[in-house]
Amino acid sequence: MDAISVEKVTKKYGDNEVLRGVDLKIAEGEFYALMGPNGSGKTTLASIIVSVRSPSSGKIEIYGKKPENAKELIGYIPQENFSSPILTGKENLMYFAGLLGYSKNAAEEIVNELLNKIGLSEDANKRVSNYSGGMRKRLEIATALFPGVKILILDEPTTGLDPSARRRFLGLIQELRKEMTTVLLITHIGADAELASKVGLIDEGKIIAEDEPEGLKKASGLKDVINIETSIKSEKVAKMLSKFSEKKMVMETDVGYRVYCEEVEKAIPEIVRSLDVIGCKATKIETEKPSLEDVFFKLTEKMVREVS
Amino acid sequence: MGQVKATLDKTIKEFLRQKTILFWTIAWPILWVLIGSFSFVKNVPSEVVSYTRGAIAISMSAFALMTAGMANLPGNIAQDRERGLLSKLMSMPINPWRDFVGRILALLAFSCLAAFLVTLVGFVCGARFSYSFVGLLQSIGFLLLISLASAGIGMLIGTFVKNVHGAIMSGVGIAVVTAAISGVMTPYSYLPLLLQQFASVYPISSSSSFITFLLVGEEYAGYNPLSAGQTTLTILSSLLLFFGGLVAYSRFCWRKE
Repeated sequence: MDAISVEKVTKKYGDNEVLRGVDLKIAEGEFYALMGPNGSGKTTLASIIVSVRSPSSGKIEIYGKKPENAKELIGYIPQENFSSPILTGKENLMYFAGLLGYSKNAAEEIVNELLNKIGLSEDANKRVSNYSGGMRKRLEIATALFPGVKILILDEPTTGLDPSARRRFLGLIQELRKEMTTVLLITHIGADAELASKVGLIDEGKIIAEDEPEGLKKASGLKDVINIETSIKSEKVAKMLSKFSEKKMVMETDVGYRVYCEEVEKAIPEIVRSLDVIGCKATKIETEKPSLEDVFFKLTEKMVREVS
Repeated sequence: MGQVKATLDKTIKEFLRQKTILFWTIAWPILWVLIGSFSFVKNVPSEVVSYTRGAIAISMSAFALMTAGMANLPGNIAQDRERGLLSKLMSMPINPWRDFVGRILALLAFSCLAAFLVTLVGFVCGARFSYSFVGLLQSIGFLLLISLASAGIGMLIGTFVKNVHGAIMSGVGIAVVTAAISGVMTPYSYLPLLLQQFASVYPISSSSSFITFLLVGEEYAGYNPLSAGQTTLTILSSLLLFFGGLVAYSRFCWRKE
């Protein structure tokens, strides 16, 4: 039986159709990443699965039950930091234990266990306002790890975390997978989605591709990607670089561009020369294997993340 | 440990640990008890001063209950919604009514504490009351009505004003303005006729007048509210506000989009 089954789900707000017939099946124990840009409908889909929103049409089942009858099986972590900053970490978890009906002694026991599991035992009695972003996120994950939860749904959990907090957080998710918890990770970060056993790419309310991360990359036909850091970024530079890509595919990044071309070795010296001609210097140039964000760009010609 | 107790514990801790809440609900009314007790008693006969101070302590206790219900409760609701806690709760096997009962019990407990501290400061400043046991019980009932009516207004604010700051400031604004124009903070007899009519319809000022009448006397309440019509109106309008707020909260805050 599938842990999560979504069939032809649509969601409309007035004339705005946010989800357009989404089909999704997540097997028990699977780590599924749903990746797409802001506004693609991924958070709406997650909130329908956890019965915070209702679909306009379609069918959703959690282990064969309607979502509202399967709430005890789901641990949902919304995008926002929902823990109370003026309570301690332990008080926050005791609150959730109380909501779930644990007696005081049982709650104490299980909360101490959870704090240990997420590595916050020593900071349990500190107010959450004194926690780092990573510590707070781990605490919030713990609210979804009470016994009985079989599916963990995480909405953009690593947004705003520094690299080391992000690594630690993702390590925790990998640990949880060993306990056969089904994980649905909502993200716009390709590197986070790479950790999943299956990735669905969502755009404009539709899942446009779905496979294992390597399968998606293979199917995209993308070869190596040239990653260039440039002294200036302009339309002129982008246009020039696009000449080196068969399908005129150039993605702007924070520090320069990513160029998708067939013959990387041959293209690099020519790119450097051409940039020189238009008065732009390549400060760093390297080839990389394509990422899931590149695959998304190839399929939609849109970037998953906005360039700052 | 049930859902009600979990929500009660969390909410009361949040009330007690936020300086803004402590200021508006406890420190501000106490400040006015101190100012009123020592600044507005010049040329007042000494036998009247202690009862005037009693009336001021009652007014400020009523004001403390107003800010607790109208500002603290909506601030707490808006905060939980803004930081995604309501979404998280909606995804859990939780009964919304138990969440609501927990919040209201926390509000009532905190309101009792605030009213007690304000009255205690009044006592220390020389406030005196003359009451019977029955009058005291009736007064507690009217304090409860002030809390319920304030909570009703608070739930309406918390439901419709989405922003935390906006919810708190709206509540404080409504509490201050209505307290000023309805005779909670100013003597009823000083009000123009139109505002006197409002004061007798507005359940909070009406309850406050009942308490002043029962614990201090008619001359301090400004009128004798103890009629069947006025009592019924006060009880019904308090309950109407409370249940109106409750319906809005349960329909709109916990509603699936």
